[in-house]
Amino acid sequence: MKAFFKCLCTLILLSTGVWSCSEEQDFDQFDDLSITPTLASSLFSVEAEESFINSVPVVNTFYSNTFNFDPFNENFVAERLLEGTINYEFVNSTSKPIAITIEFLDEAGNILDTEIFDIAAGPGFTATRDVTYGTGGKPLAILTTTSQIRVNGFNLGDNMSVSSESDPRIIMNSAAEFLFRLE
Amino acid sequence: MRFKFIVLFPIILMVFGLHSQNKQLLYDFYEIPQSLMVNPGVNAQERWHVGVPVISGLSLQAATSGVTVNDLFANDGIDFNVKVRERVLDAMGRRDDFSTTTQIEVISFGYRGRNRPDDYYSFGMYGETDVIVYWPRDLAILAFEGNGGANIGRGFDLGHLNVRGEMVNVFHFGVNRKMNDALTLGVRAKLYSSIFNFKSVNNSGTFSTVPGENNTLANTITADMQLQTAGVEGFIDILEQDGGRRDDLERLFAQRVLLGGNLGVGFDAGFTYKLNPQTTITGSILDVGFIYNTKDIKNYTLQGSASNEGINIFLPEDIDDLGADLWQELVDEIEAAVPFEDNSDGFISFRPLKVYGSIRYDFGQGGKTLSRECGCAINVTESTTTDYYKNSVGGQLFVIKRPLGFQPALTGFYQRRFGRTFTLKTTYTVDKYSFSNVGLGINLQAGPINFYLLGDNLLAYRNIADSHYASLQFGINILSWNDN
Repeated sequence: MKAFFKCLCTLILLSTGVWSCSEEQDFDQFDDLSITPTLASSLFSVEAEESFINSVPVVNTFYSNTFNFDPFNENFVAERLLEGTINYEFVNSTSKPIAITIEFLDEAGNILDTEIFDIAAGPGFTATRDVTYGTGGKPLAILTTTSQIRVNGFNLGDNMSVSSESDPRIIMNSAAEFLFRLE
Repeated sequence: MRFKFIVLFPIILMVFGLHSQNKQLLYDFYEIPQSLMVNPGVNAQERWHVGVPVISGLSLQAATSGVTVNDLFANDGIDFNVKVRERVLDAMGRRDDFSTTTQIEVISFGYRGRNRPDDYYSFGMYGETDVIVYWPRDLAILAFEGNGGANIGRGFDLGHLNVRGEMVNVFHFGVNRKMNDALTLGVRAKLYSSIFNFKSVNNSGTFSTVPGENNTLANTITADMQLQTAGVEGFIDILEQDGGRRDDLERLFAQRVLLGGNLGVGFDAGFTYKLNPQTTITGSILDVGFIYNTKDIKNYTLQGSASNEGINIFLPEDIDDLGADLWQELVDEIEAAVPFEDNSDGFISFRPLKVYGSIRYDFGQGGKTLSRECGCAINVTESTTTDYYKNSVGGQLFVIKRPLGFQPALTGFYQRRFGRTFTLKTTYTVDKYSFSNVGLGINLQAGPINFYLLGDNLLAYRNIADSHYASLQFGINILSWNDN
């Protein structure tokens, strides 16, 4: 019996001790892990037919709307946002110059930032603008405290002219790419 | 930190995880009583055996089909994020998996029928944990890279999420019968007492970001995903309580072990057939069974389809929506289209089916029949002369049913018997995890005490951290070859 257990110990030592060697490992490297995905999504768009713009009796302002917009100030987003870019695209096929303003408002309705876009008369006018936030751009706090967005559309032309295009309209699209640090 | 853990948990498990249910060293190693557990029709020799409780059969196996511990954590001065990028994200595919399989034999008995000495009855109880998680490649890339930049236009396959796991206690009873000099058959009935079970398989769907129709981008998700759990909520509820946690956990665990949870049934079957005195073929099919989960169920579903292009205002159609909460409407619309819900519907979970087959050629005649020399080898007819061979060589095939299909392993082996007390078996196995898996097993018979030790992929022990596969099985039994 004694020999048996001697043999047993020897075999276990052989299998787990002699054979199992390992190079030096540094598990603290795990703390260096950086996960920074870029998330992309459309934000909002406004599309107005020229006939609608002409029909608004109030001269100048054909649209004004303030709406709740919470994606930026959600805790998960606000705490992890590193930088971002909002891309605006404009297509104007109407006969009149248009101005669009985007106002970023906090929860109390205070204006945090305003983007003003002057859009030349169409048809065939297109433009894009990238607005960066974070490194080299506007303060990130504008985004992380934005709770509402106000969109204003101004007709800088008249209420009579009609574009030669078959379906004239002003289109504003917007999308964002944000860099997050998940870890 | 929590997110990091969630994201890298599969990697770590893959690195450290216990893997594979292939017991190629134990299979057809008929000197070891536990070989009955991988082939109930093995050529059983002993008159009776009793496993030393808890340590009669311990099986621990570890493997990785992708990255190793050393790949990630070697102190080599390379930036950890570069290693994760090059060795995990760029290198691993959706069929790379990690899994854990541990088996602890709690009770094991066997005896030969007094009136039917050709029958060997064995029964007992063992606990088994089996978890497999396939590397969710697209979901990992989505987490690390996001859907922006170069990934616009790319479809992320939600079907890459494949997870299955369970802890189960198994009560079993088997009969091994020598039909004639050439054929031995065996069957084992099993009663499964589930401790917990979860699975998320057969998922489908995509998430993509492409140029939109009404805005710059369109994020589109089509999902048909489900996570089914049974027996998990009970443990979570206890863990979330403040006091009495350990006692409650132990009580619940004991209850589930002793048939107090979800139950199932199954069977194993196997055979050994001598083609001629020196050539033997064997085969077995294990865990043909299921568990019917009706208690402590919580399933989660994500099913539907939605496309989001942000808040879209069309004039004049939407002029009446001034003052509406457009953002909340958008969120509600998406949640309604792709609802994340839970239910308590029962479900059936099948056990991981396993099939073994082998061919063995014996040579190097070492003596007369075992029965003549030592009174053992009950599994031979007294009047028949069965040659005893010192050497065996052969091949084995193992196939296991996994969520993504059947997974094979091919083994060549050589076995050497040194008298009646000591047997060596060495194997070379090729499977998806390793092409250099050399294993060694020993069986030692010291009087009535039987000890076995089986180790896999021994070459990798030179740097275990760089190993793709490692396993160890051992056990101690008391057995009788005759009437002692």
